[in-house]
Amino acid sequence: MAMSIEELAHTADVRIRVKAPDLSELFVEAARGMMQVMYGGCEEGTITEELALEAGDHEELLHDFLSELLYLCDVRDVVFCSFLVRVENTRLSAILKGVPFDRKQHQGTEIKGVSYYGLQIVKEEESYATDILFDV
Amino acid sequence: MNGGIKKIGPFEWEVPVGYTENMRVPGRFFLSDELARELEEGAIRQLANVATMPGILKCALAMPDIHWGYGFPIGGVAAFDRSNGVISPGGVGFDINCGVRLVKTPLSPEDLKNKRELIEHLYDSVPTGVGAKRKRFRFSPRDLEMAMAEGASWAVRNGYGVQEDIEHCEQKGQMKEADPSAVSAKARERGVPQGGTLGSGNHFLELQEVREIYDETAAATFGVKVGQVCVMIHCGSRGLGHQVCTDYLKTLESAMKKYQITLPDRQLACAPVSSPEGKAYFGAMAAAANYAWANRQLIMNTTRKVFEDLYGLSAKEMPLLYDVAHNVAKMETHTIEGQRVPVCIHRKGATRAFGPGSEDIPHAYASIGQPVLIPGSMGSPSFLLCGTREAMERSFGSTCHGAGRVESRSQAKKELSGKKVKEDLEKRGILVLAPSYSSIAEEAPSAYKSSQEVVRVVHEVGLSRMVARLEPLGVIKG
Repeated sequence: MAMSIEELAHTADVRIRVKAPDLSELFVEAARGMMQVMYGGCEEGTITEELALEAGDHEELLHDFLSELLYLCDVRDVVFCSFLVRVENTRLSAILKGVPFDRKQHQGTEIKGVSYYGLQIVKEEESYATDILFDV
Repeated sequence: MNGGIKKIGPFEWEVPVGYTENMRVPGRFFLSDELARELEEGAIRQLANVATMPGILKCALAMPDIHWGYGFPIGGVAAFDRSNGVISPGGVGFDINCGVRLVKTPLSPEDLKNKRELIEHLYDSVPTGVGAKRKRFRFSPRDLEMAMAEGASWAVRNGYGVQEDIEHCEQKGQMKEADPSAVSAKARERGVPQGGTLGSGNHFLELQEVREIYDETAAATFGVKVGQVCVMIHCGSRGLGHQVCTDYLKTLESAMKKYQITLPDRQLACAPVSSPEGKAYFGAMAAAANYAWANRQLIMNTTRKVFEDLYGLSAKEMPLLYDVAHNVAKMETHTIEGQRVPVCIHRKGATRAFGPGSEDIPHAYASIGQPVLIPGSMGSPSFLLCGTREAMERSFGSTCHGAGRVESRSQAKKELSGKKVKEDLEKRGILVLAPSYSSIAEEAPSAYKSSQEVVRVVHEVGLSRMVARLEPLGVIKG
């Protein structure tokens, strides 16, 4: 099945639903969804960051991964465009590529945090899916 | 209303124990019939979830701007016993000490002949929007440490304000329990370049005119009169506060296992107030709250400089009326069934509304109660109210914090053109400057509940009393 990012209704904040054929791709879609909200997305970049994370379960791992992206974007002034993610059990390694933040080009909604509310990774027949709520 | 929710007064509703499993106390919220039509079931469920938390006292409360958030509903208030209750970042939110301040000026709208120039100067001087950082100001590591420890006092001591500003902030702009050592290196790193920036979303700096007075005595005490120009500043603790919340969600989630606490929403991660984890979160949260007070003080100082350049006003001619926090946890003492009980109160999208004679109110306001500042949405009125004794009895000295959305940001962007919203507001004499048209569309007046109706409910219930209505003249948005 195809990967997808869908914005769901939420009055106060921004809630997205992501789907992907496997866990690693689900994390990629979630990261792309977050960048879409914050900056309207971007093209391939040359700035590279590597990440290695470990958590208690997949939801916590996804929460930590997205929170780490948020932190990196904020302090490095970078917008990430492509993601190579590998999730094994509750460990993650990722290579992120991005471009320098450009106020004119990257317009979106500032995300304050990644909420745990409703964050539950569901394995369907041929795919993984989860909702993610961002405080904006 | 379903699930056994009962209307128990003209503006009061009860969510009975049993609405969801494991509720320890009932939920209670204040709404008019008109606002009740827009109430989301998700918000009631979140209120019921709060009622399941250990050590909760009396009831889980929500103000009339209740809406669906994460963890606590927005507009949520809950007090926990300090000896056996919990503290939770889910009851404060990511934007710790998001709040509002109101600055008075001696000007009238007729004095603002060059209003566009004023708004443009403000927009150029106060960084707004995603990625906003100040080019000319960065906290040094020592200043950041001191700002986290001292809040507004740090700013005034360093020349960003006058002594009277401190007296006119809730808790004098400083939570003394702050423990900067509990704030992570990541949070500090985010805090360094963002001091004095507004941020994005619903944050704003607005030029307003006092258009109507409801209570002459209170208005005279607060020093406002019809036709007076004021400036309202709405923002919080920026990336530093957001990171503190993120960090401690993780810490407290592990602590829940240790203390064998099970809750229906992971975002309600919590620990006993008296535990090392609970104390660490409270110390870090208080440090972030102080950063937010320093931040609003820096923005106000920049605003005063702009007014000085254009109108020759001094800081003393632009006194701070008051500054309130609306996302915070605090240690307070409240009367419950005739006993004075030390509590850990959480206000998430709710404002403290201490009544006459309460502690921690500026001396000049003691007979009236503390000022309560309720920002409208862009283009709609804001309100000045005062705290009441009734609020002390019924809502742990709390009231609403704003209008509350009725339409999601994506819906607003789909339905409205930011350009059109801006033009419509300009036709009404309200100038808007923002980084993008989409950020204007997202915050369009039609995406919000009527702030007037929310304020009417708290006034009718007695949780605070209406003093004045302020209408927007111009706004800079994040």
